[in-house]
Amino acid sequence: MRRPLLAGAALATALVLPASASAHATLVAASPATQSRVDRVPDAVRLHFNEPVTATEGAIQVLARDGTVVSGPSVVAVDGRVVTAPVRGLRDGASYTVRWRVTGNDGHSPSGVFTFGVGVAAPPPTEATGARGTTWRDDVARWALFGALALLIGPLTMRLVVLRGGIPPALERRFHLVTTVAAFAVVDVGIVAFLVRAANALQLPFGDLLYGDLQPFAEKTRFGVAFLVMTVGFALVAALLSLAWVFDRTDLRRAALGLSIVLAAGLPLSGHQATEPNATVASELADWVHLVAACVWVGGLVTLALLVWPSAPTVRRAAFLGFSRLAVWLVAAMVLAGGYLALVRLPELSDLWSTDYGRLLLLKLSIASLALGWGGVHHLVVRPRLEAGGAPRVRPSLVGEASVAAAVLLAAAALTNAKPPQVEPVPPAAASSTR
Amino acid sequence: MVPRPEIAHWLTGAVCLLLGLVLFSEAVVGSAVFRRRTWRAYLWPSIALAGGVFLWVIVVFSTFSPMHLLAHAVWAQAAMVVGAVQLAVVRGKLASPLWSLVTAGALLASGVAFLVHEQNPWLFSRSAFLHHAIGWVVVAAAVFPLGHALRPERVVWRAGFALTFVVVAVLLFADRDFAPIFGRLSDAAVR
Repeated sequence: MRRPLLAGAALATALVLPASASAHATLVAASPATQSRVDRVPDAVRLHFNEPVTATEGAIQVLARDGTVVSGPSVVAVDGRVVTAPVRGLRDGASYTVRWRVTGNDGHSPSGVFTFGVGVAAPPPTEATGARGTTWRDDVARWALFGALALLIGPLTMRLVVLRGGIPPALERRFHLVTTVAAFAVVDVGIVAFLVRAANALQLPFGDLLYGDLQPFAEKTRFGVAFLVMTVGFALVAALLSLAWVFDRTDLRRAALGLSIVLAAGLPLSGHQATEPNATVASELADWVHLVAACVWVGGLVTLALLVWPSAPTVRRAAFLGFSRLAVWLVAAMVLAGGYLALVRLPELSDLWSTDYGRLLLLKLSIASLALGWGGVHHLVVRPRLEAGGAPRVRPSLVGEASVAAAVLLAAAALTNAKPPQVEPVPPAAASSTR
Repeated sequence: MVPRPEIAHWLTGAVCLLLGLVLFSEAVVGSAVFRRRTWRAYLWPSIALAGGVFLWVIVVFSTFSPMHLLAHAVWAQAAMVVGAVQLAVVRGKLASPLWSLVTAGALLASGVAFLVHEQNPWLFSRSAFLHHAIGWVVVAAAVFPLGHALRPERVVWRAGFALTFVVVAVLLFADRDFAPIFGRLSDAAVR
């Protein structure tokens, strides 16, 4: 009996006694700093870690834009926390990519990538030398993110704006389930989208990617900061929706909808409408309006077709007529904001067929026109019949329109990830609203 | 200076300890006595839900590797889901004891995340030892809510579930990312 007790006491003592402490090997500072602009040509790149590391001669590679290696062999300083690589032949007015990989005391091999500019701004790490750029994976991840947002904002709007009164309990439960799951999905898909984008720049095999340094992406890029804010924000939305379900609190649902609409701004604020040379507050605002209107439209259609129609015959009419009225405003917002954005991104009409971005926009417009035409038929043909007390068989048609709308989201995702044609920066006179 | 991850570990340990003591109190005095004041019934699910939201803040500070980011995201989500489901049980929205299976699944997923995110063997360092220990404790603890789902009247499941959080809290308080275990440190770790 005494032996297990002694062993337990020894284990507890060994664990509770203080010991020297340090963290997982992480890059704490760099010279030149990550994503920095330096005015003088550096003679070396130095990486400072939070604990001693081991490194090979190739631990730090500094690359010019054309892929030329401009760094010499890396050496570890005496205390093991600083790794240095000399650089030669750097030019003023050029940007460089630093790729690094060390082994920490815990046996893991963290690695990372960042850029710096000599006399010029550093490009984002996603445009580092060797970065692959966006792929179909980014498009799918962005599509899933749009879809999750639509399934969060659409049903919430349907319940709080269109179906404001009492509804059957079964439908209420479905609303709660769909919106709460969608809030978690926004967070999870957001994480996947962020990792896919970082992976394109890190260019590491899967095993090494698990220990790749994401901090330059998370803290030094617009999409990284947007990702961090949206992750915590939508987790809060999920908590609000859970509490709204448990305690039957409509005010918490309203708060969740309001917060979701505000947080959706993270995507426009980190996309082309915020980062291109001619981006303005107006282009960011238009992008946000376009996104929110599209999410309410697509999410509302899916809600109508898959939630309301099959499970609540008593509120079908109210839901369809209410959404039909709302859809007019949504379509107006989408067309106006989208038209303005097209003019900003494609100043020449010929850009529509002569650039990849323009051709993608044409594809999106074609699919959107089909969906809007379909919606027009519902508005002009089905709505009057319902108003007259008829019961037309409309669900298959609603599913069809919702499917086409989902295809619009896919085209929008590809368009968001595509590079728009080069444009001139906004003149200084308009700089007050320029970033 | 105490590294940021250790502050996060200790804060999480504090939340786990609070959770464990609340659950243990209920197991000791019995639900009938513990829930004489209604708010007490909501206490542990609320702590779990709020703890989950708090964990998301830690998630966004875990960008030093995808492995840590994903593991923390699993824990945050597991805590939120369990908290929400148990709040619904207390509120009467969900009635079946089988909803405890959600807690069992969450513990299982959390334990697996602990084990997967630690790639070194048990005696590599104190941190590795504790990650393995917490991982297996949490995986094994999934049996308590599982038992509660099948035999809800037995106190042993509640007591075991409560003590799990006390043990995890102690292990988290003892965590140091890089320190010897039993006076020993792997050769690989002292290169």
